[in-house]
Amino acid sequence: MNFTYDALKITAGVVSMLALYSILYRENKFYRLFEHIFLGLAAGYTIVATWKDTLYPQWWVKMFGRVPTPDNPLPDQGYWLFAALLPIGLLAYMVFSKKHNWMSKIPIGVILGLWSGQQVQIWWNTWGPQLYSSMQPVIPTTFDSLSVPSTVEVANGQIQPLAQPALGTVQQQISNNLYLTQAITNFIFVVTFVAAFSYFIFSFELKGKFLTGVNKFGRWMLMIGFGAIFGSTVMARFALVIDRMSYIVNEWVQVLFRGV
Amino acid sequence: MTIWEKMQKVDRRILYAILVVLVCGGLFFPSTIKTDPDPSSKSFYEAFMKMPKGSTVIVQTDWTNSTRGESMGHFENLMRLMMAGDHKFVFYSAADPAAPQVARTVIARIIAERKEQGFREYKVGEDYIDLGFFPNAEATNTSMGVNLRAAWAKRMSKMPTGEPGKMKEVDIWETPVLKEIGKIEDVDMMVVVTASASIDIAIQRLANKVDITALVTGVTGPTVLPFYQSGQVKGIGVGLKGVYDIEYLMANGINDVKDEKGLAVVTWNKAGSVPKVQDGTTFARGRSYYGTLHVALALLILAVVMGNVAMFASRRRKGDSV
Repeated sequence: MNFTYDALKITAGVVSMLALYSILYRENKFYRLFEHIFLGLAAGYTIVATWKDTLYPQWWVKMFGRVPTPDNPLPDQGYWLFAALLPIGLLAYMVFSKKHNWMSKIPIGVILGLWSGQQVQIWWNTWGPQLYSSMQPVIPTTFDSLSVPSTVEVANGQIQPLAQPALGTVQQQISNNLYLTQAITNFIFVVTFVAAFSYFIFSFELKGKFLTGVNKFGRWMLMIGFGAIFGSTVMARFALVIDRMSYIVNEWVQVLFRGV
Repeated sequence: MTIWEKMQKVDRRILYAILVVLVCGGLFFPSTIKTDPDPSSKSFYEAFMKMPKGSTVIVQTDWTNSTRGESMGHFENLMRLMMAGDHKFVFYSAADPAAPQVARTVIARIIAERKEQGFREYKVGEDYIDLGFFPNAEATNTSMGVNLRAAWAKRMSKMPTGEPGKMKEVDIWETPVLKEIGKIEDVDMMVVVTASASIDIAIQRLANKVDITALVTGVTGPTVLPFYQSGQVKGIGVGLKGVYDIEYLMANGINDVKDEKGLAVVTWNKAGSVPKVQDGTTFARGRSYYGTLHVALALLILAVVMGNVAMFASRRRKGDSV
């Protein structure tokens, strides 16, 4: 068997994977060994990647500049002010000193200040469009058609867009009207939205059949939502198992047999 | 111990073993299952296919091997769409230092696949730029929105010299990929492939400047769908279903490829049609995994049903109130 680099690499992957999955059988040293190898590799890789991809191009080169090379004859000037970032960053490690740990609050303060300054804009960018799109109309404006008219048609056994000017007219009708099926969809959305929202009213006690009913309905809707999210999560986990098995069945076996 | 009690006490390791056997079996029989892709997947495909050939796309790739089962399929589809559309792209990660390397491996594989199929070979520097890892998503996305040229200043890229096998280093802003780009608004689309909340961070800082689409895992998907409903993202592929949806759309288009009755395989009540991908691979990892997922889910449902039936039966036998 010709053990190429690919074969060795994938075999190492398979052994590591089986070691990590062995925890499903029971706690064992094989699992712990590979868990530590994995953690060490991840930490080492992060250090190298942080220097290579971030600190070197974003800080070092900006500070020292770049000498001209045959491929890149224009020199880059460095800016010494970037050196000031190092002591500011290092101040964060003063958290380990009992006497000087107040100094670590300086970089933390800078980060918090930058973070806080962004929050108003971020809050609006996150929720503004969602608040706007939650204001859905619920009363239909036309009963000419119960559902949204089609913008495509079947002609000669083929689906194709409506011809102009019929397409323009239909598009105009769709944008100007709310059809019954759209209204029902919007109504379900608005009722669910209000009911789920009402579940989080803790400022006063909800009394009466109507208010407690809405609250209870909101709880049901939340539970259905969580159920759907859980279902999606389970599918995601299965996808990961399937991929691991595919790694063995397809990639590993394929490489081994290719090397025969 | 009765049969009902035994059924409730099946060792979980036996269930794991059955799952492994079924999943491995399923992988040997990949099948094309007829599906109606989710509207969010259709929107993603439509947005991508409506971009003019040669557009420039920013790809924020924040996944690693821990979500390979879903994210790799997404990323492969994205690369196939990108190369079939002759688009230029820049990729980087703002979430995980290992993410750029994982992406590089997939890009190299898809380039090799397409070269083998006789298509043009994508080249670093000319067709795409590798920016590596940025350690803070908030700062990265904010600075990209404020001044893209400053955010990526002094970054270099490898580029072919013209001599076989020889590469040179050039400033990324002098490459054909980014020469015409001055600010983020000049970019045609930003795609975030992620298994985490990095999509939220991108939306918060960039959605009002550039069209954002996302390819996310099944865990992240439910938190991103409200952004699709409000139009903050133009399309999303969610989880393994999303991977298969995009492959299905690549093979059939929307209102495009006809079935035996002459009707489109994938229909959508929107004006016009979106063509299928004309060249290269369409069905791949998603097709292979999607059928297997059904097998695994069938086992799960069967186990839940059997466990419940056994519980009710054993309680009834004992005379407990059910």
